[in-house]
Amino acid sequence: MKTNKKVLICYIAASFILFAAALQPAAAQTYKIGLSLAITGPTSDAGVPYSKGVEDYFKYANDMKLLGDDKLDCMIKDDAYKTDVTKRNFEEFLDQGIELYLNYSTGSTLGLKKDFEEEKIPTLPASFHAGNLDDSNYIFLPIVSYSGQLIGLAEYVTKMHQGETPKVAMFIHPSAFGRGPVEDLKKAVEAGLNIEIVEVVEHGKDLDNTAMLKRLSSKGVQYVFCHTVQSPVATMLKDAQRLDVAASKFGENGKMTFLGIHYTGGNDLIALAGDASENFFWTTSYTLTSEDTDGARIQLEMAKKYGRDDKIANSHNYTNGIMVAQIAVEAIRRTKAKGKKIVRENLYEELNAMNGMNAFYPVTTVGPVTYSKTDRQGVDTLQLYKVKNGVFRSTGSTFTSEYYKKIQ
Amino acid sequence: MAVNRWLATGNYFTSYRDEQRIFATHLNRLFFFAFLCCLFVWPLLFEVSNKYMLVIDNILIAIVAIIGLNLLTGFAGLISIGHAAFVGVGAYCLASFARVIGDEHILITHAWPVMIILSGLLGAVFGAFVGLPALRLKHLYLAIATLSFQMIFEWTINSMTFFNQGQTISVGRVFWFTGQVMRADHYVFWYYVVLTVIIICWFMASNLLRTRYGRSLIAVRDNDRAADAMGMHPGLTKVYAFALGGFFAGVAGALHAYLYRGVGIESFTLHHSISYLAMAIVGGLGTLNGSFWGPLAIRTLDLQVDNLAEKAGHIFSANLSLATALRPLAFGLVIVLFLMFEPRGIANWWRIVKSYTKLWPFKY
Repeated sequence: MKTNKKVLICYIAASFILFAAALQPAAAQTYKIGLSLAITGPTSDAGVPYSKGVEDYFKYANDMKLLGDDKLDCMIKDDAYKTDVTKRNFEEFLDQGIELYLNYSTGSTLGLKKDFEEEKIPTLPASFHAGNLDDSNYIFLPIVSYSGQLIGLAEYVTKMHQGETPKVAMFIHPSAFGRGPVEDLKKAVEAGLNIEIVEVVEHGKDLDNTAMLKRLSSKGVQYVFCHTVQSPVATMLKDAQRLDVAASKFGENGKMTFLGIHYTGGNDLIALAGDASENFFWTTSYTLTSEDTDGARIQLEMAKKYGRDDKIANSHNYTNGIMVAQIAVEAIRRTKAKGKKIVRENLYEELNAMNGMNAFYPVTTVGPVTYSKTDRQGVDTLQLYKVKNGVFRSTGSTFTSEYYKKIQ
Repeated sequence: MAVNRWLATGNYFTSYRDEQRIFATHLNRLFFFAFLCCLFVWPLLFEVSNKYMLVIDNILIAIVAIIGLNLLTGFAGLISIGHAAFVGVGAYCLASFARVIGDEHILITHAWPVMIILSGLLGAVFGAFVGLPALRLKHLYLAIATLSFQMIFEWTINSMTFFNQGQTISVGRVFWFTGQVMRADHYVFWYYVVLTVIIICWFMASNLLRTRYGRSLIAVRDNDRAADAMGMHPGLTKVYAFALGGFFAGVAGALHAYLYRGVGIESFTLHHSISYLAMAIVGGLGTLNGSFWGPLAIRTLDLQVDNLAEKAGHIFSANLSLATALRPLAFGLVIVLFLMFEPRGIANWWRIVKSYTKLWPFKY
């Protein structure tokens, strides 16, 4: 009898303990994310606003309790645009137990691709190089690749151009970052895209482009597609203005129209090139603060909340950073909502499920983010902007590249 | 020779053989082997994060390269501003194999010691070829010839699609007796490999310097006409000095490729050549132990300046580029200060410390 009583008491006590445990709120979790990028060194002019965008959005997510009581801890390390330092940072992040990784440059993304595969860690780079996706399963580009952007731009030219086949020159960065889309554009031409690529120029550190512009002009080039960073484009635009070879409107006869993709444009280009940037055409998937959109309003409010200066607040790379952080937070939020553990594997699954009805609509882009096992380029939609009176203004409606889909 | 073989308070050499001993006393030998034991044992006792193990491995690889540069510039007196390109030759030798036969080929993953030696030999061939102008050129003119090799190397790698236009070429994970070396053991494994390579290189270099081939390097450095008059061949000596430097650099390049599991041009640029030269100067040109101090000092400085620049980068606006400027400023300042106040490098401090402890507890 005594034994039965003891067992009963034990049962009751255990039930109380279990009941009390069930009533206790689950302990708040902290999820670790790593970001390695160029805060100093080459391209730090883009890296700094990008890092602030990531930092601010994660702060915002914590402050607004977007993940309930759970917190995000994003470690941000400078790699000075060097792959070996990126590798060191990545190893440090792995030691710290990150579940998601944000990378930056094309070189380091290509260099660490095998590590991402081995570690099975979902990675969102700031590089939109199409080659990042070759032989890789864990790299997710935030927006359509440079190739997609450039082919989209070429399609716009073929649509708007009047006359015979438009003659095009490419002005690219002398690296894998710059060279990446050249072959893809050539493939699109072979697939029927009606443009003639007259010359591909890999720029150096020239401070004068007179000879190059004269040569392109003598070859009858009508459009110059730029894929590099802002400063060489600004130098070229200034020279084109001085030589009077820049078109004052799209496709002006006998003149050259300059167009560029994501990293060529933005406010930094206008600041560097001044008046010469007028009528520069630029495409990206991000919304700009020079336009009245929900994304711009949220971005400016966030910048104000976290005390960012005007330059950062209005930078498209700040938008870029915010958007990448938005994808990360959304993937965690969705994983959490399904009651799954926040681990690499589940985040990877959740990112791959971000399509169709589950597509993610961050207001900072002109289209939805869609990922699947066969499509790891986030926003496919592009918007064309044009410099008008010293600011980028959208021109025409959003578009996606048809030929890019054909050549993939 | 001193009567007491364990301690010696002065030089008591009675024969050339005595003078050429690697270890002056038994105590020196004992300390050396105890130190080696510590180097081999500490990773088993303390757990170091992969990040720091990577940093340590990097320093060790730089030591291998600097032993070569020290033989070339310090002992033979031939300035090379293209040492990173020689390191690159070794790395790209491995990368070329990876491109042709695949990065997971058994030759790369299993026969890696052979690949490392092969890379060293190719480095030696390139070194000897680049050293040919040394037959006619001296001093700054020779330095410019090596600089041109650096430029040609960078241009070739950046332009040729075979070399992936400078972008990373992957190198597979190697195998050891216990199986494939995975990430958990990767950095410790390469620590032991590079440490073993350093010990072999150090013994090779110190023994070389005791032979007539080694002494001819110093003789040609000090006065090549006098060396010629003494029956040495200055031209051949210079070419062979370049080949030696190239060999060590090639080995370092292959080790770098295996450690990072990939080869990209950005690790072998002119900036890296200057950095190697700085390591040799700061460590102490013409001293073997300087080859250890230099990489240790410069890589540690790099790491500290990286941290400082990162902190500054978070504070200063990107437009000011102050954070970016910190790195070259600190680097340049260290070189200038060493050239001004300690041209003999850290190796000289080591010499003073050794002299002091030799007489201890008596006054130095």
